[in-house]
Amino acid sequence: MFDGVSLEWLPQSTAIEFFGIKFSLPFTIDFKSNSIISAYTLSLQLSVTTALIGGIFGFLLAYAAILGGLPRSVRTALLTFSGVASNFAGVPLAFAFIATLGRLGFVTVLIKNVTEQLTGTPFDLYQTGFSVFGYVSLTLTYVYFQFPLMVLIIAPALDGLKKEWREASENLGASGWQYWRLVAFPVLLPSILGTMILLFSNAFGAVATAYALTGGNFALVTILIFRQIRGEVLQNPGLGYAVAVGMIFIMAGSLAIYYWLQRKSERWLKQ
Amino acid sequence: MSFLELYNVRKTFGQTDAVRAFNLQVERGEFISFLGPSGCGKTTTLRMIAGFELPTSGKISLNGNDITYKPPQKRNTGMVFQSYALFPNMTVADNIGFGLKIAGEPKSAIQKRVDEMLALIKMNQFGHRYPYQLSGGQQQRVALARAIAIRPQVLLLDEPLSALDAKIRVSLRQEIRSIQQKLGITTIYVTHDQEEALSLSDRVVVMNDGRIEQVGTPFEIYNFPTTEFTAQFVGTLNTIQATVRDAALGALIVANQEITTSQKLEGLQNGDAHSIAIRPERISFAADGKKPNVLNVRIETITFLGSIVRIQVSAGENIFYMDTFNNPFLSLPKIGDLVEVTFSKEAVLVLKNE
Amino acid sequence: MKKFPLGSWLIIFVGFTYFFLPLIGTLDFSLRILKDQITLDAYANVINAPRFQNTFTYSFTMALWTIAACTLLVAPTAYWVHLKLPHLRPIIEFITLLTFVVPAILLVFGLIRIYSRPPLSLMESEIGSDFLLVMGYVSLTLPFMYRAVDNGLRAIDVRTLTEAAQSLGAGWRTILFSVIFPNLRAALLSGAFLTFATVIGEFTIATFLARPAFGPYMANLGQTRPYESTALTMISLALTWISIGMIQLLGRGAQGQIAGTR
Repeated sequence: MFDGVSLEWLPQSTAIEFFGIKFSLPFTIDFKSNSIISAYTLSLQLSVTTALIGGIFGFLLAYAAILGGLPRSVRTALLTFSGVASNFAGVPLAFAFIATLGRLGFVTVLIKNVTEQLTGTPFDLYQTGFSVFGYVSLTLTYVYFQFPLMVLIIAPALDGLKKEWREASENLGASGWQYWRLVAFPVLLPSILGTMILLFSNAFGAVATAYALTGGNFALVTILIFRQIRGEVLQNPGLGYAVAVGMIFIMAGSLAIYYWLQRKSERWLKQ
Repeated sequence: MSFLELYNVRKTFGQTDAVRAFNLQVERGEFISFLGPSGCGKTTTLRMIAGFELPTSGKISLNGNDITYKPPQKRNTGMVFQSYALFPNMTVADNIGFGLKIAGEPKSAIQKRVDEMLALIKMNQFGHRYPYQLSGGQQQRVALARAIAIRPQVLLLDEPLSALDAKIRVSLRQEIRSIQQKLGITTIYVTHDQEEALSLSDRVVVMNDGRIEQVGTPFEIYNFPTTEFTAQFVGTLNTIQATVRDAALGALIVANQEITTSQKLEGLQNGDAHSIAIRPERISFAADGKKPNVLNVRIETITFLGSIVRIQVSAGENIFYMDTFNNPFLSLPKIGDLVEVTFSKEAVLVLKNE
Repeated sequence: MKKFPLGSWLIIFVGFTYFFLPLIGTLDFSLRILKDQITLDAYANVINAPRFQNTFTYSFTMALWTIAACTLLVAPTAYWVHLKLPHLRPIIEFITLLTFVVPAILLVFGLIRIYSRPPLSLMESEIGSDFLLVMGYVSLTLPFMYRAVDNGLRAIDVRTLTEAAQSLGAGWRTILFSVIFPNLRAALLSGAFLTFATVIGEFTIATFLARPAFGPYMANLGQTRPYESTALTMISLALTWISIGMIQLLGRGAQGQIAGTR
């Protein structure tokens, strides 16, 4: 018993080799533990925030590049960079952000110099309480691989908006804004929401980035499991499982919602 | 002043002239087809009337108003697209009522109009369906209703039947025509299918390579083509090489035999070579009754096409076709036979040189 | 209609700035190992370090094994499903989606639970652990390899090609190797490059299986040698860029994918 968590658990052998987890009921979990709740809260907060920010920003970028009247090369460049950025996650990304926003980081120093030149007094980011190892920085780091993922996934959906729909709506008297509000946006909504769910579960399951950035000090759900496996916490198998089970539920739930939204939009757009 | 006028309309894309010097006057309530092969400029012209393309030069006026540069929203034209373009997130009823909703009409008026339209296209029970639940033909009818619901001054159809099965095409085009006649809407219909154009239109505009070849009623276009392109594009046409014997008399030599045409041989000297054209159905066997022109020909092939028997004959270097109605008791000549065929003077068409 | 799209350019500018700033920061940092000088010394140190070469070689080898295992698993399966069992397609797609949903950390959790004690104590031996590692990587990249191959198959109308080959007298081996796989080359190579990029940077599984892989090496270096680790970061970025570039070249518009560590 640790922090109010009790767990009875019957292990089962795996059917497929690399799916190492197969739970069976009955087990009971008592989630009264503070540390677990705060870990979940933090993870959920981070995941929802970065999914929203990454989702909206990614959507705007994709829209600008595909439908915003820009040359074709911008679209190609954006898709390539998005492919790179979304795969850049993990340890290297964390280091990149430390090098950029750390106490002696590129941007930190840049801001100091520029503000000194413009106003005479240098502005030190770190005096505001900001730290590259803190929550805001972690959010920015996560967004770095979230918004490219949104761009990549929503790009084909934007391509799928038929030119004739816009022309038909104009022909019937609608302005550009009305077209978006009444036709394009509703058609895209399932895809956008579905992708945001994907972004959510993407962030929720991430660990390497946070670990490399904060050294395992940031109490996210995934870090908790990480520390558990490492044996860095007072040994309590129940804690690890409890957290893992909760995580599986959240991931599975996200997947189910994502699936439902996909089916809906596919049905509408079937010709 | 006609209801819809295009005056010297020109459209250039980069280096290419998609539409050149297009002049047309359309009366109110007329059904006009733009007929031509792919790339002839017919869709581009239609889109300029709708406002999706702006002319490089020229003027378009509708009911006295200059609409050349007006945005599409303000033109009050109704467009039907080849791919139907129904809004997938809306029901049939919402699709049809879309234009009225944008115009700010009250819900009750919209409902009434939508019901009217559903009755018009005979889909009264379909109001709550979504486009993905409809067949292609049904979707196109809804698209038509949606365009008509806003009471447009001109109805524009861009190859509306091309994406549909053959059978649906025939029944739907009749429906379109009868709706158009009932409501008296001025209509422009773009197609590459001459059967559609001929069967539906009051007048046909034959286009090729951005230019108007000929404008006329279906009867005129078919029977009195004024350009070689029109003659060849509309219906089947035989082209025969002839030499002018006497331009004033309309006398020509084909394969060392003389025939006469009732058309004028303008600008031609005796001895000039020129193409003439004859429709296959205007040629018959001399044995069935002689007409002013008689030619000795050799039978090359005989093809049974159902209601028509198409016979390929040769006169010297010329090979051409004659069509004769199928008759079970018909005695047809055999391949290799030499027979006399005949046709009137009016059947010999002299085409303008390009 | 031809007005200058200011809003679009603005957003793109913000986006690309966001993207490039950390990269510039990293590059800048990595060049400053000697105070007030711009040198490539950090890169030299890194590349010459034996541990770099060892771990990189190790990860590279693991990547090759993963690619092989994945291809052998995916290609024939996808082909067979396409040809004979089309009704199984949604099920297989769902399964591949499942592996995407189980993140690396959960996977590791389960792996350790099952394989660190008898009877399946694979983790006791190095070979066993290597095997687990490759299996873990395969599970991570399976969805994307499958999707790539599936799209490739869809594009080439498998059924007709097979029937044509059969009618000309070809046996199964000929069909697979002379007809189908050559047409899938682009898809398979795309999958291979993605797998490569994923495996090289992977951290979580390798750490817990205590294998000498590139990812953990990078992380450890960060604790002690900041300049070298940022140089390493730039190298890793270059590798990712090349991989994605190859995929773009091969795919000509293939959807973006991500796999592996985040």
